[in-house]
Amino acid sequence: MAHRKKNRNVGIIGVGQTKHSSHREDVNQPEMIYEAVSLALQDANLTMNDVDCVVHGNMELFEMIHQPDMWHMLGTGAYGKDSIRITTGGTSGATISCAADNLVASGMYDIVMAIGFEKLQEGHTTAGITNMADPLWFRKIQAGALTGSSAYDVSREFGLERANRVSLTYRIIMDKHACLNPNAHRAFGLDFSQIDDLIKSSPKLVGDLKLIEMCSQSDGACAVIYASEKKAKELSRRPVWVRDHIAIHKEEIFTIFGYNRAFPVTKSHKFAAEQLFKRNDIKDPLNYFDVFEMYDPASWWAIDWLRDFFDLKGDEHLRLIEDKEVMIGGKLPINPSGGVIASNPIGATALVRVAEAALQVRGGAGDHQIPTPVNHALASGFGGTMWTVLTMLEKELNW
Amino acid sequence: MSKRIAVCAVAQVKNEPEYAHMRFQNMLLECFEPIMEQTGVTFDMERGIRNIITCSDDVFDARTISDNGVTDVVGAHFRGEEKMAQESINGLGYAMACILSGHDDVILFMGHCKESQGESRRMATNLACDPFYCRPVGMDFQNVDALQAREYMEKSGVTEEHLAKIVVRSRKNAKKNPYARENRQVDEKEVMNSPMYADPLRELHVYPVTDWAYGILLCCEERVKEFTKKPVWLTGYGSCMDRYFIGDRDLCSNFSLKQAAQRAYARAGIKDPRKDVQLFELSDHAAYQLPMWAEGVGIADEGKGGKWIDDGGMEKFNVNLSGGHLNGNPLLLGGAARAIECYYQLSGQAGDRQVKGVKRAVAQAATGGAGQHQAVIVMEA
Amino acid sequence: MAEYWGIKVEDIFNTMQERFRPEGAQGVTASYGYDIAGEGKWKVTVYNGTLAAVERVDGITGCVATMSADGETFVGVNTGKVDATNAFMGGKVKVEGDMGAFGKTGRMFRKFVIAKKEMSTREYIEDMFGTIVSRFKPEEAEDVDASFAYDLGGPDGGTWTVSVKDKKCTIATTIEGNPTVTLEFNDAKDYVDFILGKIDAQTLLAAGKGSAKGDINLIQTKWPVMFEKYKDPMGGAVPEQELLVLKKIISVNQKYATGPVMGRFLKGLKDKKIYGNRCPKCGRIQLPPREMCAECRVRVSEFVEVGPKGEVRYMDVVYYALPDPLTGVARETPYGSIMILLDGCKGNETLPHFIRKDQIEKIEMGWNEKKGTRVRPVWEEKRAGDIWDIKYFEIDE
Repeated sequence: MAHRKKNRNVGIIGVGQTKHSSHREDVNQPEMIYEAVSLALQDANLTMNDVDCVVHGNMELFEMIHQPDMWHMLGTGAYGKDSIRITTGGTSGATISCAADNLVASGMYDIVMAIGFEKLQEGHTTAGITNMADPLWFRKIQAGALTGSSAYDVSREFGLERANRVSLTYRIIMDKHACLNPNAHRAFGLDFSQIDDLIKSSPKLVGDLKLIEMCSQSDGACAVIYASEKKAKELSRRPVWVRDHIAIHKEEIFTIFGYNRAFPVTKSHKFAAEQLFKRNDIKDPLNYFDVFEMYDPASWWAIDWLRDFFDLKGDEHLRLIEDKEVMIGGKLPINPSGGVIASNPIGATALVRVAEAALQVRGGAGDHQIPTPVNHALASGFGGTMWTVLTMLEKELNW
Repeated sequence: MSKRIAVCAVAQVKNEPEYAHMRFQNMLLECFEPIMEQTGVTFDMERGIRNIITCSDDVFDARTISDNGVTDVVGAHFRGEEKMAQESINGLGYAMACILSGHDDVILFMGHCKESQGESRRMATNLACDPFYCRPVGMDFQNVDALQAREYMEKSGVTEEHLAKIVVRSRKNAKKNPYARENRQVDEKEVMNSPMYADPLRELHVYPVTDWAYGILLCCEERVKEFTKKPVWLTGYGSCMDRYFIGDRDLCSNFSLKQAAQRAYARAGIKDPRKDVQLFELSDHAAYQLPMWAEGVGIADEGKGGKWIDDGGMEKFNVNLSGGHLNGNPLLLGGAARAIECYYQLSGQAGDRQVKGVKRAVAQAATGGAGQHQAVIVMEA
Repeated sequence: MAEYWGIKVEDIFNTMQERFRPEGAQGVTASYGYDIAGEGKWKVTVYNGTLAAVERVDGITGCVATMSADGETFVGVNTGKVDATNAFMGGKVKVEGDMGAFGKTGRMFRKFVIAKKEMSTREYIEDMFGTIVSRFKPEEAEDVDASFAYDLGGPDGGTWTVSVKDKKCTIATTIEGNPTVTLEFNDAKDYVDFILGKIDAQTLLAAGKGSAKGDINLIQTKWPVMFEKYKDPMGGAVPEQELLVLKKIISVNQKYATGPVMGRFLKGLKDKKIYGNRCPKCGRIQLPPREMCAECRVRVSEFVEVGPKGEVRYMDVVYYALPDPLTGVARETPYGSIMILLDGCKGNETLPHFIRKDQIEKIEMGWNEKKGTRVRPVWEEKRAGDIWDIKYFEIDE
């Protein structure tokens, strides 16, 4: 039996997120979570009494808290509720969204709240990510999530000059979006006229990956409330429907550095997108979706991954960026929120993608709302050794 | 609940004080292969396993994103994988949701923990406390459990002699369980003279450090025949979170366990657990928890735990015939161990421990100090 | 929350503790309610002449009197922008309950003072550098001999050098010689924002608006100890709570079992041999060996010796000073992290390691049929069965 029809439909009826920032010394961890939880409840016009189950996710070793949902219950509101804790690294936020969707669709719970959280300033992020590598050997070699390999890939294929310009164009589009989003962590006010200057002046991290192109390290929390179709229709005028989701993981180490065309490597983003679109009968995803909230940890990865997600040919992915088709007002706006480059509280990040996509579908994104109708949205999560989670949201229950 | 979830197969390695010759990947592989062999399940995108649930812990593994290390050996390459970062019993509840939602037909659920790897499990559980107050004053699960033990023993008339009896029985029962940690048999006197860890908890009152790994294959009702002739059914799950600060809690009220049990019973259609359930597996991290959780799941009267033991409650309700958590499971995996024992009993594979006519069994497990978060599952033959 | 004259309603309540005058509240025990339209409700309790509580509440109960007003009027009255009597007379402020009791609150609190007009960047710069010598703490400068140069651009910019030697601090408006650390900001305004904590260093560096040269560690670690933090003269109106941050290094000792597969690899290194293992189904070599082939989902047990020489297929030049998670010490940068296709391996079966530091420039990466630079391992004399038994790889000439 292939993928079945959902047991029952699930709608997103509330979204809350904190301002993402590297200066949240004013709150401790549960207090920060409480901010997002209150905002989500307020958004859904609910109280904690209405919530049946709480799903919590983040990465323990970033803040060095074991079983953090025990302490965090002071902010999550889980007291007296069913509650589970699921994590999967960078994709955690997306995974808890999938979990909440499953928990509601199963019929076990009517209203479930997913809470993603990270306070990266309370640990050392790059060292934390490095700790994910096998302690017996690779931990001694890895440099966190930093690699210049995407920059190398794109540059080798299209020339360093064009690649650099596309990467910075993407980066500046994200900054322009972030400037419209009051919750964004980094919003510099960059302009396209600064591209050449930034290529020269921004400090290099690894290879051609520059500081300006890498995501921030943020403190932040996000909460999203999911409800059964019946409840969603009762409680919300504009529920956003979760159509489907898919998670694809990849083996423990990166073995993508052979660079020999006789040995092509299957890419997880591409595989996940193909599978998801196939089972939902989406033939032309680039035209189908009205917005894409992508987990883009660096602009180089974003421009490379665009091709994987939408199965683009030749240099189509670069042209979409050069022609600013990924900007608000373009053919397929990517990250009207400013994306992960602007704000990255890791355990919350992938849930923020779903939350922002839902806001776009609902038409409630404020200054960064896409002006044209948003009926179909896609959100991605990224983590681990090239893991992918994709979530499809819909305005209408008509698929 | 209209549909049931089938447990098709289980596999485990023996509970050991230390797997010095294996890393956790090897241990998981030892569980992965038998599941594949027993069931013939595949990883086909249409008909096979598309999603794997795992259970492990970043702090015990000393590894950020601990599930990254298991991708290969649980078969998750180019399939989904979701880590239950909580007591493993909740992984079964979540597996239920994955299947009932229609998203998955088949779920592989695997977990591992090597408690022997870290210098001290108490250092790990101390990290579960907030860094400002509870950590500096030295709280960890064991110390918090001790506070609960003292209060509970007062309330329910549970004595040192009762605790000793529970420990001796646990080790005797475990001797019949081929997968149980091999512990020395002890008598009551030795238990009562063992070193004091955290008053009133003595060394032998507390489960020993243990390494373990397991695998469980679950599937939807419609497809069960493809994987097994003898399924066991998962029919109920419930969990509940209590408050964090122990000063905010009534430590021996069993608040979260009662809630969790009621929710699980409601889903499974159980009205009276004393009549409707024939076997109980309770996660007793420390000896006092056995009667306390027995009160919580409704088979001992509230405040009468001591008398319940005297009246033979542990035998009457077939509690922890496996030896229980007390004999040795890793902290986070007690729930999976309890569920696996229920599976053996319900499918008639429990060997010398087999109870005749078991139709329904309940497994319970707790996360956090003094059972802050509780979960209960119901399984049926 | 809306702002009136730059002040929010909650600012008034949040500063009550600081503005409380015990001499104006002698012998008073009472609670007062405040219902500010569209903003919320507060309850202020004075007990025996001390301010016992200022709390935000859902409903007002147990108060001797309750004042209701809109936000603008309330802030205006408390800051002197709106005449209180006129507001009361005009019905903009209403009081229910004991009017006389409420009247006493006027004497209990000092007026909320609005900060004076903003300081200009130039004024800030003058104040910041003007107070450096007075903020210097000689007792913290034992054995420090360093100069900190500032080069600030923009219309309000300039140059300064702060020198610390023999527990003395001097300042000059030039940069001469070779300062220990040089901080450059394209715009002096960014420096002001940075010192005031409105923007962080990483953001400035990321945007290319500033740079730091020389002993950056010294300015990060020693400067904050040697100098009192700059106090914003404009920050006086609303005293900020000191935000305490608890700093801890957490370590739990671990012993990782290596198992029969990884153990074999590590033992091999001890004997100057590199082992991979070959999947019985697809034939790919895993390096280092793993228990199972993730692609084929089968156990892998055939070990093969590969290398030790090979070719570079990819190199990351790492500039970012990453702390080694095992030691906490930052690695010296730049270094070259290479992916090596060892002899006997094919396709993507590469092993990551480091290249000899002085050879980064000479490395060529392989691509399709093109061969990359040939490299060989350099072994440690004393080997422990560890990935660092190979010190690094070097070009095989």
